[in-house]
Amino acid sequence: MMSRMLRIRPLLSCATVLLAAAPDAFAGGRIAIKAGRIITQAGPDILNGVIVIEDGRIQSVGPDEKAPWDAELLDHPDLVAFPGYVEANNSRGMDRPNENVDVAPFLDVRDSIDPISSYFEDSLRSGVLTINVQHGPPAPGSGGCVIGAQGMVVKPFGLTIEQMVVKPAAGIKISAAPKAGKSRATQAQAVRKAFTDLRLYLEKLVQDKKDGKDTARREALYQGRDLDKEENKKGRAMEGNATWKVKGLEAIPRGEIDDKQEPLLRLVEGQIPAFIYCDAAAAVPLALEIARDNGFLAGTTLVLDGDSWKAADLIAEAGVPVVLGSTLVHVERDPVTGKEKETFVPGVFKKKNVRFALQSLNPQAQSLWYQAAVCVGHGIERKDALDAVTRTPADILHLGDRVGSLEPGKDGNVLLLSGDPLSVSTTVQYVVLGGNLVYDRSQDVRVKHLLEGVEQPNTAPRGVEVQANPHDDEKETGADEEKKKNDAGEKKPEKEGGGQDREDP
Amino acid sequence: MIPIHALALALALVPAGRREDEPQRRWTIYADEIHTSTGRTLANGMVFVNNGKISLVSTGREESPERELLKVRAVTAGLVDASVRIDAELQSVEQSSEISPSVRVADSLDPFSIEWDRQVRSGVTTVLANPLDLDVVGGLGVVLKTAGPESIEARTVRADAVLRGAMGSQPSYGNHPAFGRPTDFFSRRPTTRMGVEWEWRKAFYDAAASRKDSERAYPGSDLVLRALDGDLTIAIQAWTTQDIRTAVFLKEEVERELGGHPRVLLDAAAEAWKEPDLLVRSKVGVVLPPFPSNGRTGEGSFMAWNVARMLHDRGVPIALSSHGSANPEDRLPLQAGYAMRGGLDFESALEAVTISPARMLGVEDRVGTVEVGKDADLVLWNGPPFEPGSRIVGVLVDGVLKVDPREQAE
Amino acid sequence: MMITILALSAAASPLATHRAILAPESRLLAIRAEQVVLPDGGAPARGVILIEDGRIAAVGPDVEVPEGAILVEHRGTASAGLVALHSYSGSPSEMFDSTRSVLPEARVSLAFDPANPDFADALRAGITSIVLTPIPASLCGGTSALVKTSGGVVVRGEAQLSLGFSSLALRNNRFPTSFGGAVAELDRLFEEPEGVFARAAKREIPVLLEASSREDVARAIAFAQRHELTGAISGAAWAGELAEKIHSAELSVVCGPWRIGEERRDLLAVLALEKAGVPFGFAIDAPANHPLMLRAGAAMCLREGLGRATAWRALTSDAARIAGAEDRIGSLSKGLDADIVLWSGDPLDLGSTPQAVYVDGKLAWKDKP
Repeated sequence: MMSRMLRIRPLLSCATVLLAAAPDAFAGGRIAIKAGRIITQAGPDILNGVIVIEDGRIQSVGPDEKAPWDAELLDHPDLVAFPGYVEANNSRGMDRPNENVDVAPFLDVRDSIDPISSYFEDSLRSGVLTINVQHGPPAPGSGGCVIGAQGMVVKPFGLTIEQMVVKPAAGIKISAAPKAGKSRATQAQAVRKAFTDLRLYLEKLVQDKKDGKDTARREALYQGRDLDKEENKKGRAMEGNATWKVKGLEAIPRGEIDDKQEPLLRLVEGQIPAFIYCDAAAAVPLALEIARDNGFLAGTTLVLDGDSWKAADLIAEAGVPVVLGSTLVHVERDPVTGKEKETFVPGVFKKKNVRFALQSLNPQAQSLWYQAAVCVGHGIERKDALDAVTRTPADILHLGDRVGSLEPGKDGNVLLLSGDPLSVSTTVQYVVLGGNLVYDRSQDVRVKHLLEGVEQPNTAPRGVEVQANPHDDEKETGADEEKKKNDAGEKKPEKEGGGQDREDP
Repeated sequence: MIPIHALALALALVPAGRREDEPQRRWTIYADEIHTSTGRTLANGMVFVNNGKISLVSTGREESPERELLKVRAVTAGLVDASVRIDAELQSVEQSSEISPSVRVADSLDPFSIEWDRQVRSGVTTVLANPLDLDVVGGLGVVLKTAGPESIEARTVRADAVLRGAMGSQPSYGNHPAFGRPTDFFSRRPTTRMGVEWEWRKAFYDAAASRKDSERAYPGSDLVLRALDGDLTIAIQAWTTQDIRTAVFLKEEVERELGGHPRVLLDAAAEAWKEPDLLVRSKVGVVLPPFPSNGRTGEGSFMAWNVARMLHDRGVPIALSSHGSANPEDRLPLQAGYAMRGGLDFESALEAVTISPARMLGVEDRVGTVEVGKDADLVLWNGPPFEPGSRIVGVLVDGVLKVDPREQAE
Repeated sequence: MMITILALSAAASPLATHRAILAPESRLLAIRAEQVVLPDGGAPARGVILIEDGRIAAVGPDVEVPEGAILVEHRGTASAGLVALHSYSGSPSEMFDSTRSVLPEARVSLAFDPANPDFADALRAGITSIVLTPIPASLCGGTSALVKTSGGVVVRGEAQLSLGFSSLALRNNRFPTSFGGAVAELDRLFEEPEGVFARAAKREIPVLLEASSREDVARAIAFAQRHELTGAISGAAWAGELAEKIHSAELSVVCGPWRIGEERRDLLAVLALEKAGVPFGFAIDAPANHPLMLRAGAAMCLREGLGRATAWRALTSDAARIAGAEDRIGSLSKGLDADIVLWSGDPLDLGSTPQAVYVDGKLAWKDKP
């Protein structure tokens, strides 16, 4: 795609950020991280402790651990170790956050994710290491779904999808909020119809089989499915807790079920989780009804927005967890007095004992740490606020055994922070992902640029001329870039006036 | 709200001449930390508020039955935002002429706007309200409180506080050359950046010449003369490096050629980090716009996050501002936090949102610090100020409690 | 309209009520009604209104009907004609100039057509006097006119000087484009030694401050106080929320018109005016609104809790004062113009309808039986 060719800048900074050629370069290797304070999210903080990671998994975390002699050592007594943040629901990082097709569970976000999107780069920089990429809410200009694509959980590192994947087929997105052109009533009808269509389709399959027709089989072969494979050969009865069942489904080899319907069947059978988006309290009853009727309430997470918090009682009663919208303080205006009333949304759910995860507002300055900090400011206990950006989203994504805390057996994802995670002055200094050091802030070219205005060739802000380099015609790549990086900090006496370089303070 | 018995007590103490519905004005505030903005922080201290002014600031605790008590983690002075536009639309700027010094933005402010309430909730108690920068010289800005009686006059702290204008492309926006027939009154100068600078220069030169030759006077030239003499501060919006340079060079030219000594503030000087020498040399004050998350901000300028620290280290007076943005992320207390993220220390960040803008606007005798005798404009926090993990739980404006910490139920 | 009225023996003939229209003009006319609404707003009582040469000669329960007077018996209520304070009846578009923002010499009195059916509509709704105002789309749109709804009589040719304080007065293609510029220009105009502005500055003409929001009202009050002007504020639904300030500035208010089912907040603002003692009247902004809305608006306020006496004054005497003609219209008092409406019942009850309307002592309209 054309646009990818023009994205030299992030590619360059990716290149300077990467210290490992590929994430599994040190597979089998060991890394030990010493930090002044380790916030494990699984017990009290550990002072001057060591985390040992081997084969991409945490082996041990403790105060008296000795770093093994054969482990690569990251010794930072001045830094704070913290588990990677987990983003439970996000629609950035794709070329478009939505599709326009009404019912599209046969689509997969793996085809939309752009590995070099600045969203992933910024997420890495902010320490968000586990991201659930799903289709987004209906929005003007970007379409919207009734039933969207299958999402996946990725890590913000890697130049291909395969390198980034943490968990494929991580859930299907359903929207209880009307997409463009639909009203609430017609959206509800469309969502229900998708499942009615599934049932009718399956019943027809069964009937056709009984009648001796083999249309489905031929269609499957035409679609290119291998009907001799184990999982495609066998049929089985319909499982799950849906209020409707199709009898005789065991007669149908699973491979013969159409691509478009098969993911929905798996959803109904409880094999894939669902993420249902509610833009307002009015959408919540629909979401819960669809989940209950079609048997996937147990695997449902609601993604909330607007005044959905007003339906907190319903949600609590259904026992489902929620992912809260990035606006944590909901403002409403009284139509008579004109005064504005603020409601702190996480507080409502905390009170009703509903598990909630937070979403970042943007991956730069208001990332997950910021949202957690705002919760603390509004009275949420620090521990609960930090859980809402680590353990709870990990559980929601069914990755609770892999991410969300620093405990033996979990993935070797560790952040080294310059201070307390909830402080505005704290920055992510190092990131270890799967046991590999993948980010070093002191090498992060873009951060230097944003923080200090240090200019790099090919990264100059629009409208500012990059200083003329007298050796430009003799230029080779590499060596000159080094030289330019070194020159950037010095004064250029031949420039008039104050010059355009930033001076060392 | 305020309990009935306290209200009754307050009424009993209300001096004659007060209207009976004015809320109580005697407070004792206990705080774990009082950040005075003078460089001093008091631990475990208290502030007394009496009749709209701060009457005591000290360590210790002293209760008294006639004073209502508030207990909080931290207290700072009410924040001062040096560049705000309240519901500013096209009606705030007189576009029939590019140089309209005598138009008052105070006449276009809506005292009933919900935006005042939002400013108060974000801890901002004093603002400089500016017109939209669609004119080269847009008129007179006014410094006023964000709460109080619902009238602009009653809230004004300093009327006609600054002469407001802009460099850059914004003032020429919408103008077009008069080739062929002029189609509307936007067929006029300036249409370019150099045209904008020319208008400024002409305004100054004509005003100076009008001292001897009254033919050169124009509506508002008396105000430009006052600005030339340093009696009226000039606030110039200059986002990019070239605009900052133009503004500073103009100031120096006016000093040199016209013998003037204007006091100049640069507003929204996002690229000030590129010209620190120039700013130090010309002694201008800098008001910074909100920190952008991705570097790029107004008029294509690039704002590095360490700009506040860097200018502060060089001795350039700085103030942070929300520049009239309606985004919650651009509010003033967050800007102080971001300045700290960019390396500025807490005390300097505090000054940059309290006493420094107050000084720039000439109202430091009334607001900007927590000191005895100043207006009782205070922000009460439930944690270290400017951290996102803290929240503003109370705000007093002129001693009136506008946001009540006792109502912040968790 | 010239009506010839046959001279008939007055008191005796029971046919006199309906024959009056054919009778030759008489110097003396007496109307006896079961209820006569008195100026003090007290309980209406049976009484007689004596009219001589188009003016009220006497009114009261004990007034004798003199010899030679034509007697009209009315089995209902008689009251002063209603006064509507803000309207574009006749030909509103004739007053608007989009290129110039200040037109002090423009007069509505020269721009309206008395034969326009808008006036007949108003007359039939019981409105005998109406203030025609310039459209508030300029900084100064000219002067309003107080006219009778019958006969095209101009009572006050320069009733109020209309000043625009709302954003309607601003344009983006001519001066002024901003509130600041507008106020600066008005300040300058009021410094002029002669002309309409000077007369307004000397309080010889009241001002009509056209506002649309509370901030406009605040600005208008500040301006009026600065220049010590007298007059009324019109067009802002929630002006009443600033009632105290309006009262200290000694200004009045023109309220409405409202649609049925209008927000309570608008009506509560009117009650606030009553509470603060600010005199007010009602606007109809015909022909966009039917003149019937005048009484409907009063009825809505009554339902919300407005006092009867206040409502009645707003329709009549206070309105007359705001229009600067309390010496001519607005109550059944001796010496005032004989503008009288005969209603089927209580005029503040929307169920009542006008049955006959007299303007300047002449029968201007009568309901078909």
